[in-house]
Amino acid sequence: MLINGNGMDIYINGAGVISPQQTYDNEIFLPEVTEYGGNVLTCILPDFKNYIKPFQMRRLSRMLRMGLSAATICLRNARLETPDAIITATGYGFQEDMGKFLLEILEQDEQQLTPTYFMQSTHNALSGLIALTVKCMGYNNTYAGRGFAFETAVHDAMLLFLEKEAENVLVGSFDQAHRVQYSDYARLGYVKKEKTSNLKLFKSRTKGTLQGEGTAFFMISCQALPHSWCILKSLHTVYRPTDFPFLCEELTGFLRANGIGPEDVDVFVNGASGDIARDKWNMELRKTFFGHAAEVLFKHLTGEYATASSFGVWLGAKILKIRTIPESVLAGPATSDRLIRTVLVCNHFLGRNYSFFLLKAL
Amino acid sequence: MSRRVFITGYGIITAIGNNGPENFASLRNKRSGYGRLDFLQTLHRDEIYCCEIKLSDDELCRHARVPTRAGFSRTTLLGIIAAREAIDSAGLTKAETSGAGLISATTAGGIRELESYYYELQNPESSGDFLAFLDTGDPGEHTERMADILNMKKYLATVSTACASAANSIIFGARLIANGLADVMICGGSEALSKVTINGFNSLKILDRNLCKPFDQNRNGLNLGEGAAFLVLEAEERLGYPGKNAIAELCGYASLNDAFHQTASSPDGSGALKAMQKALTMGGIAPEDVDYINAHGTGTENNDLSEGLSVKALFGDQLPPFSSTKPYTGHTTSAAGSVEAAFCLMGFEHDTIFPTLNFSQPMEELDILPVTELRQGAGLGYILSNSLGFGGSTTSLLFAKC
Repeated sequence: MLINGNGMDIYINGAGVISPQQTYDNEIFLPEVTEYGGNVLTCILPDFKNYIKPFQMRRLSRMLRMGLSAATICLRNARLETPDAIITATGYGFQEDMGKFLLEILEQDEQQLTPTYFMQSTHNALSGLIALTVKCMGYNNTYAGRGFAFETAVHDAMLLFLEKEAENVLVGSFDQAHRVQYSDYARLGYVKKEKTSNLKLFKSRTKGTLQGEGTAFFMISCQALPHSWCILKSLHTVYRPTDFPFLCEELTGFLRANGIGPEDVDVFVNGASGDIARDKWNMELRKTFFGHAAEVLFKHLTGEYATASSFGVWLGAKILKIRTIPESVLAGPATSDRLIRTVLVCNHFLGRNYSFFLLKAL
Repeated sequence: MSRRVFITGYGIITAIGNNGPENFASLRNKRSGYGRLDFLQTLHRDEIYCCEIKLSDDELCRHARVPTRAGFSRTTLLGIIAAREAIDSAGLTKAETSGAGLISATTAGGIRELESYYYELQNPESSGDFLAFLDTGDPGEHTERMADILNMKKYLATVSTACASAANSIIFGARLIANGLADVMICGGSEALSKVTINGFNSLKILDRNLCKPFDQNRNGLNLGEGAAFLVLEAEERLGYPGKNAIAELCGYASLNDAFHQTASSPDGSGALKAMQKALTMGGIAPEDVDYINAHGTGTENNDLSEGLSVKALFGDQLPPFSSTKPYTGHTTSAAGSVEAAFCLMGFEHDTIFPTLNFSQPMEELDILPVTELRQGAGLGYILSNSLGFGGSTTSLLFAKC
């Protein structure tokens, strides 16, 4: 479903990202890359005290602290106190709290349980918490559809603009690395068997990816401001494409609906996960359509998680904002002096959920 | 662009019936699904009764026409059964179905299976049929599984806003149609009972140990239930199609946040009031045009007073008939919004208001009385349906009879 093809311009007016790299500081852009050797990448945390009031902090889980901090960083970056609407997205939600509650049930024979774990593990706990914190009584929603959760959240925000229901929508993603999910993923062959450094992810040429996590918030607006990052033109999702030609048609159709062709894409943000089997079509898309464009990879920075496409969007937006591609995300040596005007983020999650985001420079 | 959105079919499975007609028969006969749990293994079995669907997972597989032991969570199975009934009742062809979007809502997803095989699944040496439940504990898995079985791969989304989830699923589907991005959407929610849900609500001390009594002075909490319901939403242009009959128009809706407390509604009901007002404004009708309210009415101290105050504030002395159908099905949590939407559609089809059960004494703070006897020939033109959830999620749907 194509939302906003050739439609109104929508802007990213701010962002706040906490990831396994130093990204929470909006003043810097990946000056160095942190190495992880154990196949699990976990977030580099800011000092939460800078973003959360002490009386609130005490009761919040790590994921809620991360999410609320990222949302706060985003609001400050967008120079806005209260958005008109809040939409969050997660694949697996508050696994840590849910896991703790579940273990109590199993180990304490369903007695003397901690209600906080339950209360803080409903998937909309973060969107509710942000609403409560910034006193936003407007539209509020949470999507939890794996590799499409963030995409649906952005779709929803775009609809709110079409409906003139909102001018500024806070859209954010969150997912955490958790051992229960990791053991499932290991058993299913979704994560690598052999220990692989994240810095060598794309040289590994083995099956499986690395487990990652992160939270990314964006202020999406129908108003351009002097501090806007870029235009968020459109996006499209494809579930379980039947074959590669079908995926190609979906992609070219998406670009065409936005009035451009593959040749207009300057930067191809490739959501490949370092899984030699599941990355196949993403790599083919790059080869078939975007040989001319700079190729950017990011899952060696973050690992794989259901809402990782949000990191890809942040990366694309930041590249458009400062017109520079950091060395650490370039797939190969920079080949041309092409201007950076149009970025396509092409993500896949487990080879099932494909999504395309089209970003443009202001 | 704003197109009108119509409901052309629905499907439902709850403790009071495996399909629409069975649910209607139970509602008409005031039959509740409340009773002892037979299928969910919990140590609270003898003290906490729920509204359980009396079919084993294997029986549900047969109803859903999928193989047993193939990793279909109970939530997925309920979803497939209800969505398929919805598709059939709207008379969608195979091509129309695969061209439609699917939005499902859940909180528990496959948590029931995860809690059943928690240790086994994490033991790398283990083997058995349960391995099919690897990586099925999240909400999105059930939507993908439904999409695979129903061959609906064009557009899928999963909503998870606690007890307002299924209402938000319907609203999002309607907005996609209203804005011209889709012509047919299948929207609803599914939720199987689990130890996590029962123990979660129990730890919050909001489960009634007896039958729940919505809007009663002596109400003492909610009863939990399980179920799924899906609606087929279609754009107005499609109503001219041969054999296409709409049951109702979804003419207004609102989704917002109460922004009061993580698990409680604002005591004055200001969130629900705002949502209902917004839905009425969108539908272009006045409060006095509403013929019936299907209340969220869980039977908790907090919900019923807060919601009662909100309807009182909106309607004053002209309060339309209202009731809560939760005593029949239990609180089906993330599926409640679509389960109750299906009941509103049945209300239109049979021009009937289904009464609240177990009510005897009005709340002393408020002089409001729910409907306690079946009302046939109720003259239903407009129905409001509320769903409220943890995290402050507040929704209201407005249906107009076709």
